[in-house]
Amino acid sequence: MTAQAFKVCMLGDFGVGKTSLVARFVHSTFSDKYLTTVGVKVDSKEVDLAGRAPCKLVIWDIAGRSHLDALNMTYLRGASALLLVADGTREKSLHTALDLLMQSRTLLPDAQVVLAVSKLDLVEQWEIAPAALEELRRSLPVHETSARTGEGVEAVFADIATRLAA
Amino acid sequence: MPAPIEPVDRGGGARPDNDADAAGDLERLRTILLGDSLGMLDARVAGVERAEDELHARLPAAIERAGQGAGAERMASALARPVTQALGAAVRENRALIVDVLFPVIGPAIRKAIAESMRNLVADINRTMESSFTPRGIRWRIQAWRSGVPYAEIVLKKSLKYGVDHVFLIERDSGLVLARESAPDLPELDADAIAGMLTAIGEFVHDSVGRGAGDTLDSARVGEHLLWVVHGPRANLACFIHGVPPTRLRAVLEQRLEAIHARAAGGEIPGDEETHASLRPETLVANDRASAPAHSRWPARIALLAIVLLLGWFIVRNERAAAWLDGVRTRLAAHPGFVTTGIDRRGDRTIVHGLLDPDAEPPAKALGEDASRVAFETTGFVSADDAVVARRARRLLDAPPSVTIDARAGALSLGGHAGAAWIERAHERAAWIPGVGTVAFSVVPDDAAARARAALDTVTREIVARRIAFVRETELAPDAGSALDALVTDIARATTLAEHAGVKLAWSTVGTNDDPGTDTINARLRDERARWLADALVSRGVANVHADTAAADDTAQRERAAFVHGEITEPAP
Repeated sequence: MTAQAFKVCMLGDFGVGKTSLVARFVHSTFSDKYLTTVGVKVDSKEVDLAGRAPCKLVIWDIAGRSHLDALNMTYLRGASALLLVADGTREKSLHTALDLLMQSRTLLPDAQVVLAVSKLDLVEQWEIAPAALEELRRSLPVHETSARTGEGVEAVFADIATRLAA
Repeated sequence: MPAPIEPVDRGGGARPDNDADAAGDLERLRTILLGDSLGMLDARVAGVERAEDELHARLPAAIERAGQGAGAERMASALARPVTQALGAAVRENRALIVDVLFPVIGPAIRKAIAESMRNLVADINRTMESSFTPRGIRWRIQAWRSGVPYAEIVLKKSLKYGVDHVFLIERDSGLVLARESAPDLPELDADAIAGMLTAIGEFVHDSVGRGAGDTLDSARVGEHLLWVVHGPRANLACFIHGVPPTRLRAVLEQRLEAIHARAAGGEIPGDEETHASLRPETLVANDRASAPAHSRWPARIALLAIVLLLGWFIVRNERAAAWLDGVRTRLAAHPGFVTTGIDRRGDRTIVHGLLDPDAEPPAKALGEDASRVAFETTGFVSADDAVVARRARRLLDAPPSVTIDARAGALSLGGHAGAAWIERAHERAAWIPGVGTVAFSVVPDDAAARARAALDTVTREIVARRIAFVRETELAPDAGSALDALVTDIARATTLAEHAGVKLAWSTVGTNDDPGTDTINARLRDERARWLADALVSRGVANVHADTAAADDTAQRERAAFVHGEITEPAP
């Protein structure tokens, strides 16, 4: 049976780990080396859901930006879900992710949104206070992830898939 | 409290006693600090050193074990980076060795690739050459002629194979794959990622270099593949093609996309079996070949008819020209003093090459009205034709009109009369004339000729008076035989006199009848008697005689008889 495909766009500031999250999820790999994404890179992976038909996530890894220009907006068209990514060690990246969410809402008012706070393996260096995350969880599903260890990665994409398949 | 430790001098002074003391102090210090653990630590250090020493021997087997079973992928992943880095370092540091190692691999690979390319090229050339002389090749030439497309392009389009490998129906906004079809036996690929990237690249191109709404990414080349993108309002069609596709294929793709949009009718693009069926590569290619422009055959038929007519006209024209040339050749062959050596065509003119005797008539005279279409290129020669020899003899001998000249097969006959001086000169020179073998000279001096002429008149009158009598029909009277003999004698005498007089003599026989009988019967009798007499004279050696059956019965004396009439022709001046 052919899995239903959904377009998922990754949004976040420079260097928050969007590409690393996708690499860990799709290819089960991780690299310390930072390579900035040029434009966009598209990958896909099928996700098995318990008791449901599998669905395929077509993930658009959009280059890190602090704001969305016209070209980024065209990349967002038709997206079913947004995965906001913030770097736990940089509080400012959380604000950027939320700004990007506000900008994208004009184009995607109904898209599912999930927040991933990355670099959980460096939790002792986090600038984002646990209280702030608790506050955010009231309005957004928030996952703490580490592309290095893989912790929370499958869960965040499974959460997106579940919400989309619902 | 432990004893203070004396600092060790590392300055390099040579103090053996002090060094021995220091080593003893250090050993005491280790004993104080580590106590019973010292032996265990020494054992562990020895174990580590031993393991390190044995590592190089155990490593290959360990890697082999790790490369099998469930850990193989992890092992490959772990080794990927160091192996890559090691290879890079090896290339940088020992390029020559790498080249030597790879040479046996790269050489055959390059040769194989070149051989494959050459084989394809030769196959293409063979196809092209074969097609040039086949009905299919002729059909392609006609198609090229009708369409104005170069023949080579037609051959390439028809000969080179192409194929559709993948077809993606992509939702325009999201870049998600709505339907996808691939040719059989192709490796699996991530259609969603490809469709997404295609959409992203298309958006990027449009945003970066596009000037208007219609500026879109329509085609791109990816290695040996050609990518065609056909855009629709809600979905795009992306097609990966190998080879050289005809432009008609794009039209087919556009038709398919339009049909899919039409079925959507403003709703969701259907991803059902009908959509999939319409995108299958084999149906696209088949449809492209079926949609090749079906030209009307009438122009071809008209062209063929024109060619046939032209060919027919050409054949008829050639036949007529050949027949005309044969006629020219025959007439020129009969023309005395001219020998045809060749005939050329220069445009509309016919050039006749030949040999022409200066004494011959111009060859154009033999052609009559056709002479205007022919030009002559002649070379002089000496002809042995009788007429030319006679003309040459008259010119060289400067013969007066009273002299008759005749030539037959190299025998020259001279008759008539002339002055004594001319006769003497002609006697000497006649045999030297080119083309003359023997000479029969019977020219008489002018005074003798006059006498002969007068005698000839007398004899001819006597001949006319002689009658050969018949009893009935053509039955001779009793004395007719002797009368006939006398008549023949007179005719022989007259012939000799005519030669001396330089005139020509011809005889005609005339029959007569008596009064009884109808006109019809009498006319028949006159004819029969004239013919009987002519035959009788010919049988007795008389030349130049004929029966005058048209002569009217105007004789004064009605009798059953026949007689001879002599006709004298004076020589031309």
